[in-house]
Amino acid sequence: MPVNDVVLATEGDTAAFERVYQAHMPRVFNLARRMAGPDAAEELTQDVFVRAWQKLALFRGESSFSTWLHRLAVNVIIERFRKLGAARDRFLPDGEAVLDVAPAARTKSYDLSMDLQAAIEKLPEGARTIFVLHDVEGYKHEEIGTLLGISAGTSKSQLHRARQTLRTLLTKSRALR
Amino acid sequence: MNHHEDDRLKFSNDALEPEDILAQAIGGLRDEPPAHDLWPGVAARIQASPRRTIAVTWSQLAVAASLLIAVSAGLTWLVARQPVATPASSEAVVQAQDEPMGSAAGQVQPANFADKQFDAAVTDLEKILLDDRDRLDPATVMVIERNLRTIDDAIAQAREALDKDPANPYLNSHLADSRRRKLELLRRATTLASTSGD
Repeated sequence: MPVNDVVLATEGDTAAFERVYQAHMPRVFNLARRMAGPDAAEELTQDVFVRAWQKLALFRGESSFSTWLHRLAVNVIIERFRKLGAARDRFLPDGEAVLDVAPAARTKSYDLSMDLQAAIEKLPEGARTIFVLHDVEGYKHEEIGTLLGISAGTSKSQLHRARQTLRTLLTKSRALR
Repeated sequence: MNHHEDDRLKFSNDALEPEDILAQAIGGLRDEPPAHDLWPGVAARIQASPRRTIAVTWSQLAVAASLLIAVSAGLTWLVARQPVATPASSEAVVQAQDEPMGSAAGQVQPANFADKQFDAAVTDLEKILLDDRDRLDPATVMVIERNLRTIDDAIAQAREALDKDPANPYLNSHLADSRRRKLELLRRATTLASTSGD
């Protein structure tokens, strides 16, 4: 994608913004799919690009556009979680090693990563967000803590429990093959 | 070993081991395309909703900055046209940020570009300029007033943009620069007024 497309889009050129969208949509969609599940991913992806359009003038070029957009996407997704309410359990409870959930549905051909995707969706959203941001997207615990309004220690302990839960689910899935 | 001790041990090795089943699964994650074309929905929404941007675009700020440079150059020319003033004759000299602070009554506030000091210095200078404007050529007054409006517009735009993006270093620098230029313009104008017609 030419760098100029971001500049043109900032000035209101929707055709340029469509090119920006086409270049970055796959990453945003898959981030949303992993963080929020496939049902919410499409709408969230649209939300991210509408927000990006509205906030393009604030992009200062200090980071790459891709980094800026990724951070914006994470914020939009976390904001959605918050709007959905605190009634749902966000994190894995302390003191329990793993969630007692059924393994991922069996797929026709054994695919560990497909099992992982299904297992990720079984995590509470907070633990899922921490796992995806840390282990898939490469964020640090301090960054995750800032984004979620939790301490780095909470992020670490939730990651630990999420990993244990996912390992258990993957092992059970593998045993069922 | 309790859970906390166990957690600490795990935290000390935050990376997954390659042979870990989870690490293998993460390594195999693949991106998938959405089931539908999402662009029409995005396009409809960005057409329908007003764009929430900072009110001033970068290009507008660039134009404002250019105008400020032109204003400054214009005032330099105006001042250069005037006979050299004797400092003793001027009550209108404003102390700059790094000049020693005077204590005599009637002297204006030093400007350090913090809001209160800046506003006080500007108010003092504007009063002086108003009192002495009859001593200036009407054409010169017109140029000064036009340039002051340009700078005021730039300051207002920068403030408006900063309301939405307070930490933006460019905007902060632009605001400080605009305010400095306003003060400089007022200083030159009052100096000009105080020495004209002597």
